[in-house]
Amino acid sequence: MKISTNWLKDFVELAPPLSRIAERLTLAGLEVKKCEQLSNPQDTIFEIEITSNRPDWLSHWGVAREIAAVENISHKNPVIDPDLARTPPPPGWKIKIKDVDGCPYYTGVLIEGITETKPPDFIVERLLACGIRSVNLIVDITNYVLLEVGQPLHAFDADLVRDKEIQLRKAKVGEKFLAINGAEIELKADDLVVADSDRAIALAGVMGGKESEISDRTRNVFLESAFFDPGRVRKTSRWHQLASESSYRFERRVDPEAVDIGRQRALALIRKYAKPRHISAVIKAGEKPQLAIKTIHLRSEEIKQVLGIEIKPNQVALILGRLGLDVKQHALGSWKVGIPSFRPDLTRPVDLVEELARIYGYENIPETLPQRAPISVGENPRLSLEQKLRYLLSGIGLSEAVTFSLVSDDGLDPEKDLKQAVQIVNPLHHGLHWMRPTLVTSLLTVIQKNINAGADSVPVFEIANIYRMPDVHKHPVEERVCAMALYGKKAVQTWLDAARAVTFYDLKGIVETVLASCGCVDLCAAKAAKSYFDTTASEEVRIWQTPVAFLGKVGAGLLKQWGIKEPVYYAEISLEKLLQHVARIRKFKEWPRYPAIDRDLSLVVRESVSCGDLMAEIRGMGKGLICEVVLFDLFRGKRVPEGYKNLAFRIIYQSPDRTLISDEIQKLHDSIAQTLVQKYQAAFQNGK
Amino acid sequence: MKDQINHLENEAREDLARIDSAEMAEAFRIAYLGKKGKLTELFKQLGTVAPEEKKSVGAELNRLKQWLEASVETAKQEAPQQVSGKETFDGSLPGIRPSSGSIHLLQQTIQEISTIFNRMGFEIVEGPEIETEFHNFTALNIPLDHPSRDAFDTFYTTHGQLLRSQTSTVQIRVMQNRKPPLKIIAPGRVYRPDTVDASHSFMFHQIEGLMVDDAVTFSDLKGVLHVFLRALFGSETKIRFRPHFFPFTEPSVEVDIQWGKGWLEILGAGSVDPNVFDEVKYDKSVVRGFAFGLGVERIAMLRHGITDIRHFFENDLRFLKQFS
Repeated sequence: MKISTNWLKDFVELAPPLSRIAERLTLAGLEVKKCEQLSNPQDTIFEIEITSNRPDWLSHWGVAREIAAVENISHKNPVIDPDLARTPPPPGWKIKIKDVDGCPYYTGVLIEGITETKPPDFIVERLLACGIRSVNLIVDITNYVLLEVGQPLHAFDADLVRDKEIQLRKAKVGEKFLAINGAEIELKADDLVVADSDRAIALAGVMGGKESEISDRTRNVFLESAFFDPGRVRKTSRWHQLASESSYRFERRVDPEAVDIGRQRALALIRKYAKPRHISAVIKAGEKPQLAIKTIHLRSEEIKQVLGIEIKPNQVALILGRLGLDVKQHALGSWKVGIPSFRPDLTRPVDLVEELARIYGYENIPETLPQRAPISVGENPRLSLEQKLRYLLSGIGLSEAVTFSLVSDDGLDPEKDLKQAVQIVNPLHHGLHWMRPTLVTSLLTVIQKNINAGADSVPVFEIANIYRMPDVHKHPVEERVCAMALYGKKAVQTWLDAARAVTFYDLKGIVETVLASCGCVDLCAAKAAKSYFDTTASEEVRIWQTPVAFLGKVGAGLLKQWGIKEPVYYAEISLEKLLQHVARIRKFKEWPRYPAIDRDLSLVVRESVSCGDLMAEIRGMGKGLICEVVLFDLFRGKRVPEGYKNLAFRIIYQSPDRTLISDEIQKLHDSIAQTLVQKYQAAFQNGK
Repeated sequence: MKDQINHLENEAREDLARIDSAEMAEAFRIAYLGKKGKLTELFKQLGTVAPEEKKSVGAELNRLKQWLEASVETAKQEAPQQVSGKETFDGSLPGIRPSSGSIHLLQQTIQEISTIFNRMGFEIVEGPEIETEFHNFTALNIPLDHPSRDAFDTFYTTHGQLLRSQTSTVQIRVMQNRKPPLKIIAPGRVYRPDTVDASHSFMFHQIEGLMVDDAVTFSDLKGVLHVFLRALFGSETKIRFRPHFFPFTEPSVEVDIQWGKGWLEILGAGSVDPNVFDEVKYDKSVVRGFAFGLGVERIAMLRHGITDIRHFFENDLRFLKQFS
């Protein structure tokens, strides 16, 4: 909100420089964001930010009150035109409140025979300085009072109000309303309207109606000043997406006492500048709402307990008094504090403690460190695991990405991926209405963007949640995963080494490294069925039969959708599942002290034979003497017939308790070779 | 003949001592062991030696040959490398760096902040991102239809849950499940339907802190935050505490740090509002607490001179790798 310091001077003395006052207000919680200099007329504008608990600051008068409290000086009140008991109420006019919850208090006066319509310069200038354009004298005065007193008023052209009747009622279903800004609105049943005998003429507290608007021809005005229920105004304003200076104040709660003060202030200005022939007595309906809590009992121990400091009793009374509170000493170190109508935010002793601290100055409260003995801090195993993976993966060349948890359904299968997915009802961006069930599409986007930026190698990972709702009656499940994606070159070409494209096996090796770093080495694999993988190139990794990770080559359809031409390999490790297998303390394992014997075994087998099966088979036949089987070569073509491949294994034989004899091993090795040849119709190639 | 052998051996010894390069060692080899080498010439003369001496002379020659061969080999190995032949060592060739990645700057920042609080005895905890109205609003003293909710616009799910708009939800979860004393910090993702621009994102990260016991005060909050901010921004950091409003703290404070000539808001905090203690069934007459919350992106942007929040989520490797 913009505050004119010239205007403030009507109410309070501003000891220069103004920057000092701005800082003092800021340090008292009324933040002055900016000081702006205006010329012609000369003025300094405070751009202030007001928290939602302090509607009483939404006016020049209110800000002046705060300055008076902070500076410990007095302030003036607005010049008003007191209600005249002598003049009769406007003949024939009636106010009927049919919705007391929505409008507990409504007042109005009839102003007849306006002779002047031109607003005086100071009103136009002050409104403009605060960002409001002049419309006509009556409307300008209502806006002026809104900015000065904080009470929103509304002026109706009295000749356009049918049957001199003002009703406060709920809208009828399907009732139409043409707002002053030209919007045509279909009202809903809990909208509070100001109506005449026939139709809605204002959306109460939010916006006036076009049909009863003040124009230059208006001579007779019905001026409304009321208290509308904050919650109702807020609902209506938000529902119809209509916000105004008026609704902003009503939904924060206006001061009930200011309903009268605002009207009386407007009348003083109208009498002076519009020079009307006649102003009626006020007609009122309802009662001013009272504060639920009018008195708070404050004890000095409470101040000490919350703030950690003592504030002297006379200072307590002084500070609260400066804020316009009615302080009475109750007992020694104990006060009964009366709350004024403009401070509905003060309901508990702790609220008064905050007021004391604010004015006493936060800067004057000393800094201490907690006195209690330290609490022993536990480790968060999952976060430790995450951190370990971050160091590991970044160390072996992957960069960590952070992408949005909200995704569109692009690339996701409605059945397989989205069936249990959590959906957002009010998405904001490009159909991002799913809480992602996988990170694959997010990382594809990262790869795509980096390719567009010229990258030829994109190895990335992200540690984040995936979300699903297996049971709609239960809270959704969040699972922390570590997702990885590889694209492009494994390594860039250097003067020593050639470049090579990444493969499925690079990613598999990374997954194995991650799992091994957690002490998980007994892995087995199964087929991974994921909608976004190439069906022929994917794998699920299990530890003790629990699936903990899956990986695969991203399907051609998806790559096409993302415009990526080279293969992308994607893996997801479930950290929740991995965590159950993490070896916290690893046991030392003695290595065999007896020499090892290497023997190579080169086999030609059909393409359909899996390397994993062969290796398992070899180990199975090793009589406990095989300590490692390494695939050191794989080739096709040349002497290998089509449909076949050549696998070259190095088998390392070693016994934990004796030196192996060459002959014995040769026998074992030969028998393994023979068995494989028979079982897999394999042939030797250069076998030793 | 034996004299000739002795003479050759002495000559070779002198020549060997002068060798200081691989080239010279090779020339030496050719001079003695080559086809027309001095030793080869002696072997050729072996036929002229008397038969009874042939065996002993032959043995001598062989011994000399072995010694010369071994000496050449040693000389070649010991010769300085830079003059070793066609390949010249060039130390200025670029090193081959192992491929390395990077940890995201936001995660580095979270980690750094967490570590500071960890050192002060705060435990790192987490809570769900999909939350209930109760945890995100009601328990935090934010009434349903109240302007204080404006600051917390929220994404809702089709089944009535919401995406937490602040990590303060974790305070509630922890207090519901544990008894005081508590000292926790909770980093994580939060969501607000804000239009994305240079300073807004609909998803960002916060770190929430909470301390609860029977004696902690507003003074303690000031002390702890001061220690933290100095650890993060340096020991010269100037700090300002400014009254503010948050529904879940009373008194509430916004903390600014001096930045150039002005002040920059860096975090929000306050003493836990008694209504929050009511909601989690703590006895508000006995327990005291403070809470604080800070935006990770904002802090990272300030510290690293980043002016557009979107960099964090675009994941351009040219950005990510600057912070490896």
